Amino acid sequence: MIPNFTTPDVAAPGVAASGVFVPETACSRELYLPQAARLLEVEALTARESRFKVELPRPLGHRPGQFVMLSAPGIGEAPISISCGPRDDAILEMVIRRVGTLTRFLHELEPGQWVGVRGPFGSGFDLGDFYGRDLLFVVGGLGMVPMRSLIQAVMATPDRFGKVTLISGWRTPADELFRAEVQSWSRLGEGSGRVRVIRLVDDTAKLPWDGGVGLVTEPIADLDLDPERTVAALCGPPVMYKFVILELVARGLAPSRIFVDLERRMRCGVGKCGHCQINHLYCCQDGPVFRLDRVAHLPEALP
Amino acid sequence: MGAFLVRKAAVTEWIRSLAREQPLFFPQPVGRSGFRFQPLREGSEVRFDHYRPSVVPPGRQLTPAGEVLFRYRTGEGGVPGFESVLDASPRILAGVRPCDLRGIYLMDRVNREGRDDPHYLTRRANTAIIACDCLAPCDDFCFCETVGSLRWREGADLFLTSVDGDFLVEALTPLGESLLPGTGFARCEDVAGLRARAEEVRVRPFGRHFALSPERIAAILPGLWRSPVWENCGQRCLSCGSCNLVCPTCYCFDIQDDFDISDPSSGDRRRNWDGCLLPNFAEVAGGHNFRPQPSARQRHRVKRKFEYLVGRLAEGSFCVGCGRCGRQCTVGIDIFDIVSELVAVAEPPP
Repeated sequence: MIPNFTTPDVAAPGVAASGVFVPETACSRELYLPQAARLLEVEALTARESRFKVELPRPLGHRPGQFVMLSAPGIGEAPISISCGPRDDAILEMVIRRVGTLTRFLHELEPGQWVGVRGPFGSGFDLGDFYGRDLLFVVGGLGMVPMRSLIQAVMATPDRFGKVTLISGWRTPADELFRAEVQSWSRLGEGSGRVRVIRLVDDTAKLPWDGGVGLVTEPIADLDLDPERTVAALCGPPVMYKFVILELVARGLAPSRIFVDLERRMRCGVGKCGHCQINHLYCCQDGPVFRLDRVAHLPEALP
Repeated sequence: MGAFLVRKAAVTEWIRSLAREQPLFFPQPVGRSGFRFQPLREGSEVRFDHYRPSVVPPGRQLTPAGEVLFRYRTGEGGVPGFESVLDASPRILAGVRPCDLRGIYLMDRVNREGRDDPHYLTRRANTAIIACDCLAPCDDFCFCETVGSLRWREGADLFLTSVDGDFLVEALTPLGESLLPGTGFARCEDVAGLRARAEEVRVRPFGRHFALSPERIAAILPGLWRSPVWENCGQRCLSCGSCNLVCPTCYCFDIQDDFDISDPSSGDRRRNWDGCLLPNFAEVAGGHNFRPQPSARQRHRVKRKFEYLVGRLAEGSFCVGCGRCGRQCTVGIDIFDIVSELVAVAEPPP
């Protein structure tokens, strides 16, 4: 697949005229090297966001909540959440908002064109923390994208989990992502009452809307929730976390049962570039998913 | 490993001969007051005793600005191919001071933490270091002794100490040994005696000193998150990032692509020095900035040098006390003063 230019031999290790220098180190030379991935589908989900489906040379083997560094040669590279659950094939799904130079370029691509992918990176979610528990997912806006990778994994084997509640918040109805899929999850629980979905917008913007109006914090006080059985996972804009956590803690949920998926600027994904630090932690290596009791004391974690 | 007592003129001639065989970077005066590590050429001066720290630390030779990580070329059918670029060319850094040697040692640790960085480590493995002891502080900004850099030797292949006008030349590694001339250097039997002699004449106390050890400073910093000291220096800071650019242990980078304008299907990806004092360093897509104020960025810099990386890699101090950031700051912010003020707040003198 990859043309002639991929695996040339390293230049011979230097030998100084006056002595023998140490040869090239044995470490992998591929830390920053992407693999070429072919674009299979680009589907516009909203005015700003599209779903990208790419095919890699081999399966990525990712965990929910991990991310990749996605690039277009000549344009640049950025961290992008993986939006699909773990899978055996070499397909990868991402939802990308048109927000900067690279993402504007990506939105112009068509199926059959190529991008570069490095990863997967980051801690991600460990399904072992969720088995046998009631699950509460709270997402705001694009936070739905990485959370979908976890919810899809849960919905693949719903019997291994207790009750599932999803609270999603959007600016307007036009911003909602994965409406049909969320409704299918909701139907999965019909009858058993095991899946509950609460969909909210800040403002209906005079559009048709079959959900509620309000903030994602508001339904928490009235949820049928057993704090001893429940594990919560949060992902959303920076301002969301503090207020959702206050509500969850008020309901008796221990910080060790709350997982937060945090966003920071990242340039390398491998703990070298320094951009994503949260106090002494690296969001790209130690996160982006953190158990709350491990970061709650860090002033930069949840500003 | 061998140790030799060598006349100054012979050391100079030896350094010159090494420079004829491979690039040898040596601190040389540029302009009116600065020094720069640059290739030693015929006729360049070789002096170990008169230079202030180079404006940019020698370790930056290992992470040059704009270094190419890989080249890409779009092949048939638009498929991109990627070729990693590693620089394995041999070079020597000579005249490296203990503070900068400590800085390079710390960067070795950083680039081996978690996943090895092949670009740094390849260049490093092919770099020989000839370090040189300091017997007097370079200027009033120096505080290397208090952070444990003054007597640092690890990472050097050869170590030079001035003793009564001659040089004690110690080979610390086989690579260092291989750089010595075949004949002409008189073997020295009493290394300990000569080093004691150098220690005798070393200025005491050496440079500025904190009231606390690096270990104690790391211990008090977590309790000083809301100290007014941050706001005070934040108000003066211009967010120019000079302190980052001249620091031997600042290594943060940004990554950019560059394409060949005459053939846009090929180009390369490069990394460039970045700095946590620059305003948009922690800004994410969409505009949220996790450290919007200069005070938050100054706090991050200081805590990174004296607390975060210290704990992460179990090292005494990531500040090597070279004084460069204070020397270069356009508004006179000196990390030594910041830490001293914090220490005074946390543990006021009796």
